[in-house]
Amino acid sequence: MLNAPLGETVLLATPAVSAKVRDLPFKKAKGIDGLRANLDTLIVVAGGTLIDQAKVWRASRAPNTRLIAIPSIWGSGAEVSPVAVLDRDGAKEIHIGDELIPDVRCLWPELADDLPSKLAKHACGDAWAHALEGFLSPLADQELQDELAGLVREMMELPLTNDARWFELSARACTAQARSSVGLIHGIAHQLEGHLRTAHPGAGWGHAKLCSLFLWPVMAFNREHSAKWDELTTRYQLDGSIIFDLLRDLHEFEAYEQAASFLDRCWMDILKDPCSRTNSSLVRPASKSYFLERGFA
Amino acid sequence: MTNREKLQDLLQDILLLDPSEFRFDLGRDDVETWDSMSVVAIAVGVDETFGYHMSPEEAIQIAGVADIIEILEAKGISFAE
Repeated sequence: MLNAPLGETVLLATPAVSAKVRDLPFKKAKGIDGLRANLDTLIVVAGGTLIDQAKVWRASRAPNTRLIAIPSIWGSGAEVSPVAVLDRDGAKEIHIGDELIPDVRCLWPELADDLPSKLAKHACGDAWAHALEGFLSPLADQELQDELAGLVREMMELPLTNDARWFELSARACTAQARSSVGLIHGIAHQLEGHLRTAHPGAGWGHAKLCSLFLWPVMAFNREHSAKWDELTTRYQLDGSIIFDLLRDLHEFEAYEQAASFLDRCWMDILKDPCSRTNSSLVRPASKSYFLERGFA
Repeated sequence: MTNREKLQDLLQDILLLDPSEFRFDLGRDDVETWDSMSVVAIAVGVDETFGYHMSPEEAIQIAGVADIIEILEAKGISFAE
């Protein structure tokens, strides 16, 4: 595909993969800000944050530019999603629209090889959060539940580590979830990420780590407060105990303790987050104690 | 707890209202936080609290507290004072 006529093309890559893209025959850009609006093609090889920035840049500044997205890590599904989340001084700015979807998605499986295992594990958590929140969403119809149940079954077979198959499954999870909604995991991640990054700049706090961290607590909350988890896992013959074992494997008690103090302070903002309000189980002001007192830290 | 109290409690939590702000004649337009996301949360909350699963059509047409009561009373859930 990269040999097809692309016209004037610029490649934008995240620093983590700069060595791998060095020999590709495209002009390299240093960042979004310097890009010209009359480019024919922009290729982005990056994680979700930079792909989302490129999506918004293309939609708002260069609608005629072809956008090719090559994820450097799985999880966000930014390469297929009509949603882009930008960070504006610690607050999340959410853009939604079909014009944001990249024209072409490429998979480069070897990019998984050198990923640090911790990042890879968090990326698996991000993909699991999309799949499970979409599956349980009050906005999911039966066709979507059928699709996501099959996807969950495939994900249960994958290890929570570097495995290039995650690129495809994560993209499918994101595409499917975009037809329903996300839930409290994403509400928490959106509200806490800025605070945690500021307070602990070297601790690697980001969206994927937060999704990974809150999967087990939020799914335990959902299972305890609504019959939907049991109904759906029974209907689709999914072994809930195996899923919960995986979610517990993603949990980090020490990191949770760091996040919990912000969860305590930001609970009202979490309740107001649009994602929290489409959670599969109702999240109430009093629900906070569940996440602070149930031994997740 | 009566069904009226349960509904009041539920809507206060979803719409983030103080007890003093809640009325049974509240309309969707009277409450800033009663947006489309809250409609989803109300449907989820009604299911969990009263065991009735609203259809999307019912949920979308709710224009106020009275409509929720009307839907639930039609299913035999009493809100008599």
